Amino acid sequence: MKLKILPSSLRHKKRYIAFEGISESYLNREDVISILWENSLNLFGECKTSNFNLWVMKIWNKKTVKNSNNFFITGIIQCKREEVDNVRAVIASVAWYKGKRVVFHTLGISGTIKSASEKFIK
Amino acid sequence: MYYDLNLKFNNNLEELLNESRRLGFSGVAIIQSSKKFKKDYIHDLKEFKVAKQMDIYSGVEIAARSVNDLKKKISSLRKKVDVLIVQGGRVKINRAACEDPRVDIISQPNKKRRDCGLNHILSKEAAKNQVAVEININSILQSRYSYRSKLFSQYRDILKLHEKFKFPIIITSAGTSIYDLRKPRDIIRLTQCFGMKKHDSVNSMTNSPTNILKRSKIRPEMIVNGVRDICTTDN
Repeated sequence: MKLKILPSSLRHKKRYIAFEGISESYLNREDVISILWENSLNLFGECKTSNFNLWVMKIWNKKTVKNSNNFFITGIIQCKREEVDNVRAVIASVAWYKGKRVVFHTLGISGTIKSASEKFIK
Repeated sequence: MYYDLNLKFNNNLEELLNESRRLGFSGVAIIQSSKKFKKDYIHDLKEFKVAKQMDIYSGVEIAARSVNDLKKKISSLRKKVDVLIVQGGRVKINRAACEDPRVDIISQPNKKRRDCGLNHILSKEAAKNQVAVEININSILQSRYSYRSKLFSQYRDILKLHEKFKFPIIITSAGTSIYDLRKPRDIIRLTQCFGMKKHDSVNSMTNSPTNILKRSKIRPEMIVNGVRDICTTDN
């Protein structure tokens, strides 16, 4: 049986961070999850990372630019409202994945997935 | 108005400039190594400045073997560039750089050291001569595990001295490719990890670089420290 949903006053307040990534190799959702968790654990450790409630909501793979070896992605991450600054630091600390260069930039922060994708992704 | 005063000179310069502009930097300084310094390159930067409609400055990073070598290189290169950076690390080099008002930035005073490379005496000298101490984002990004945590502790020590002696601090990316560049607001969050206050981070990417560039502009008019020639008449 499914648990009854908590009243809104007891739920954690969430924020959605829209981000873009540039990498030397193709990245899928699992790669993005592993990049973010690895960097979060490296930068803040297990104790603090457990407080972030990190969740990768959606990833969009964009077409690569002509004459360029770089792959572009955009996506939305969910995290706790109080930990937005730390999650931004995690996003900025991404530099390598499986021996290839990767960089993530924050596009913006929003309260709903809809507004995050409308404002920053589309 | 965010500035990044340490972008390394390389072949993909146009890509690097486009990316830094896209990320929100209104001005950058392209830094050459003192070993491979080319004066012609400064003219190319002026062309870029017009084409990109962005403040682009020239700079040089001096890696000296001794204090005499450092002084010699500063004398020969100071008038040719807008930003002069000294690669720190050794105590004598750190001290000579902090004591010289011609130096704009001391880069990585903690390089290959267990301490932060500065003490109260060097901090006083740096504050007196307005020599900015660099916090290098690239060294944070390229290090991991114990190396990164040691780097954070060294930066914490530098910030502690900065709070007391008020020498300028500057945050730079020291980027060579687009993968080394970050958005200014992401950099601010990253610097908060080692206890830098938000207004300090913002100041070190806005006010401190602006002051360095202003000083560099009026430097040819300065006769001695504190005296400036503001009106020259031709007879």
